[in-house]
Amino acid sequence: MFYFSIFFQYAAQYLKTRLSYRTDLVIELFSDLLSQAVNLIFILVVFGHTTLLAGWNREEIIFIYGFFLVPYALFSSFFNIWDFNDRYIVKGEMDRVLTRPIHSLFQIVIERMELESMFGAVTGIVIMFYAGSRLGMELSWYDPFVFFVFVVGGAFIYAGIFISLAAISFWSDSKTDIMPMMYNIGNYGRYPVDIYNSVIRFVLTWVLPFAFVGVYPAAFFLGRSEWYGYAFLTPLMGVIFLGLAIFLWNAGVKRYRGAGN
Amino acid sequence: MNVIEVKDLRKEFTSYSSRSGLKGAFRDLFTRNYKILRAVDDISLQVKQGEMVGYIGENGAGKSTTIKMLTGILTPTSGEVMVNGMNPHKEREKFVQTIGVVFGQRSQLWWDIAVQESFRLLKKVYKVSDEDYDTHMKEVIETLEIGPLLDKPVRKLSLGQRMRCELAAALIHNPPLLFLDEPTIGLDVLVKMKIRGFLKEINRKYKTTILLTTHDLADIEALCERVVLLDEGSIIYDGRLDELQKNWVEGKQVHFEFQHAVEKSQLEEVSTHFDVKWRCGERENQWIAMIDGDDDAISKLMSQVMLHHSISDVKINRVSTEEIIRNIYEEGINHG
Amino acid sequence: MGNVSLYLEMIRIRFLMMLAYRTNYYSGILIYSINIGAYYFLWQAIYGAQDNIAGMSVSQMTTYVAVAWMARAFYFNNIDREIANEIQEGKVAIEMIRPYHYLGVKTMQGLGEGLFRLLFFSVPGMVIIWLAFPIDFSNSLNVWILFFVSIIFAFIVNTQLNLLTGILTFFLLYNTGLIRGKRVIIDLFSGLLLPISFYPLWAQDIMGFLPFQAISYIPSMIFTEGFVGAEVYSALGIQLFWSLFLIIPIQLLWMVARKQLIVQGG
Repeated sequence: MFYFSIFFQYAAQYLKTRLSYRTDLVIELFSDLLSQAVNLIFILVVFGHTTLLAGWNREEIIFIYGFFLVPYALFSSFFNIWDFNDRYIVKGEMDRVLTRPIHSLFQIVIERMELESMFGAVTGIVIMFYAGSRLGMELSWYDPFVFFVFVVGGAFIYAGIFISLAAISFWSDSKTDIMPMMYNIGNYGRYPVDIYNSVIRFVLTWVLPFAFVGVYPAAFFLGRSEWYGYAFLTPLMGVIFLGLAIFLWNAGVKRYRGAGN
Repeated sequence: MNVIEVKDLRKEFTSYSSRSGLKGAFRDLFTRNYKILRAVDDISLQVKQGEMVGYIGENGAGKSTTIKMLTGILTPTSGEVMVNGMNPHKEREKFVQTIGVVFGQRSQLWWDIAVQESFRLLKKVYKVSDEDYDTHMKEVIETLEIGPLLDKPVRKLSLGQRMRCELAAALIHNPPLLFLDEPTIGLDVLVKMKIRGFLKEINRKYKTTILLTTHDLADIEALCERVVLLDEGSIIYDGRLDELQKNWVEGKQVHFEFQHAVEKSQLEEVSTHFDVKWRCGERENQWIAMIDGDDDAISKLMSQVMLHHSISDVKINRVSTEEIIRNIYEEGINHG
Repeated sequence: MGNVSLYLEMIRIRFLMMLAYRTNYYSGILIYSINIGAYYFLWQAIYGAQDNIAGMSVSQMTTYVAVAWMARAFYFNNIDREIANEIQEGKVAIEMIRPYHYLGVKTMQGLGEGLFRLLFFSVPGMVIIWLAFPIDFSNSLNVWILFFVSIIFAFIVNTQLNLLTGILTFFLLYNTGLIRGKRVIIDLFSGLLLPISFYPLWAQDIMGFLPFQAISYIPSMIFTEGFVGAEVYSALGIQLFWSLFLIIPIQLLWMVARKQLIVQGG
């Protein structure tokens, strides 16, 4: 309850601050939209030269992309921690975080949230409905619930991976240039994993399980029953990865060396 | 009752030394030279409620590391820490509710929003009730004279204004224990005096215990009866400030400024009957006599010197704390 | 340019800084390889049974993808974000009174970073990729030389765009949106994700007028020998044109920004 009320306090402050830099907000919304368009353009251009991708047609691939955007929007609204090392460790902001009576990770989440990224979810849902109608898909009563569970699971997976990467900073003084590259890897979960060889498929399923934030759960809605098993693993994988990440984080905080000196 | 109870506290950092040059950097990619650095070396310390303690040491002596262990930011390598009856890093979230922290070089406040918005957020964070906030903070705001600053965004404040707001922010939950790390760094004398006055006031009124690190010994002289001196991770003195002054340098200093050049041997010649040491001052023709003895001896020395050499200025000084501490670091604690 | 040794020192320092972070180094190679690997399979699937799309064979395409990412390691840098941060924190005012050209120093830092990645990421990365996937490396020395000339231009144009974006922070104050937008546009229009020849003709026409092709498309096409003969030299000509042309807006904006800095006092 306390964490909820704190969250809303911060969110209100955030909106106030953000609205005072309106030009940048508009540019940012625009550039978010643009980056969503870029991936769509990629799919469209590619399907200008082919009709099937490993047996999946254009609308199906577009649908997967639309689904991906929703958990991704949720993730990028609240887990904006790709520059954690620079911002909190090198500059010593972690000292301040640790002197406040709220869990440190939660504080960073609420300090760094970017609520405007939630618009990506709207884009995603629009894309899904567009692709779904072209495919003649029907909505069952349970679909919204399954969708919600899969979306949360997917966002947890993303959060788990990025929190773990951020937590590495507690052990190593390394700059993590890995983070931006990781965003690229995330994109590969949006394509049918059977196009990859077994190593990459294994990585995308069990090591950096981005396939659970794209093709696996989307396969459920597309009626690709051969992937149902993986689809229903989504929430479980989410909980496991986020849980591991938080465990790693808490262990890391104990190792924190402080800034400067 | 002891607010802070520390026994054999130690903190070690592993660090690696980089090899020099491009070749060295390349070798570092594969193997590294690690070494263990003991930043805090088995210190023990007790602080009672209501005390104001000055924690001093040179850069890198381990001050900040100690403070960070006492506030739960760092986990100690070994030793026991009890602060406000709790183990800081084990029960961190519950513990920090009972302390206030000000880092002089780091802001608690949100850069882009008005000061009072920051206060409101912190009030929520520390679960302070409306009544408590109103009565307590009204006083704090008045004493620190920050009322007119409340609706300004932090980035528009001067350093002195910001520091006063930082102090207020650290006191929102009226903590019984306050840690101040370099609270007056970079501030002008007026703001410093205002902050010192305020700290004395809350110490008197709420019996707030204050642990303070600073480079400005005037802060310590104004506030602290007790000082803890730290050198290379160990405590080299823990006791009353006035005792440090008394034990350390007996007697006084007389600054002579002569009208023309004088040799040390000439001065020693005229003062053979006194227990005195001469040293060259920082200004031209200035000599400082460090003399053991009572006021009578001092006036006799002065008249003796003036009889032989004409002077343009003379001053009698107590040895400053800064000088004492400089001496301690230069010569070691066992000198006196 | 009386400051050559100073700039060389800047490159060296940045180089050493990058070397100091070894976790970063090892993971960087790994992630780059996974990235290129995944892209390789994606393109295999896209080609399916076809052996030629938009004038490029599968193996050319694979080589294109690999070389485009490896070249990116060289030209890519974050100096736009660094400049933006330094402006927001008010550090630029201090940089202005130092005896060097601020933008020159930033460029040199970017170059130091780029050289580091080129030697320690791209070269070992290319070897790994070459062992793992069927990639055609040209055995003509000429192609390699032209390719290296071309990625130097790619670095210049990309860095110039970064400088422009960075300087704009003076006027916008808060600049994350623009920086992000620029990155997305470069990924798409530079030919990193898709060779420009894959786009519909009207889109290709538009991109022909933009500087982005100079960043990724031209060097990658030279390397895969998608460009031959006179095409290569006209492509290098385009890169040269943009490298010179972009100096104009940078200088203009920088002058206005300096004036504004002096008026506002940072």
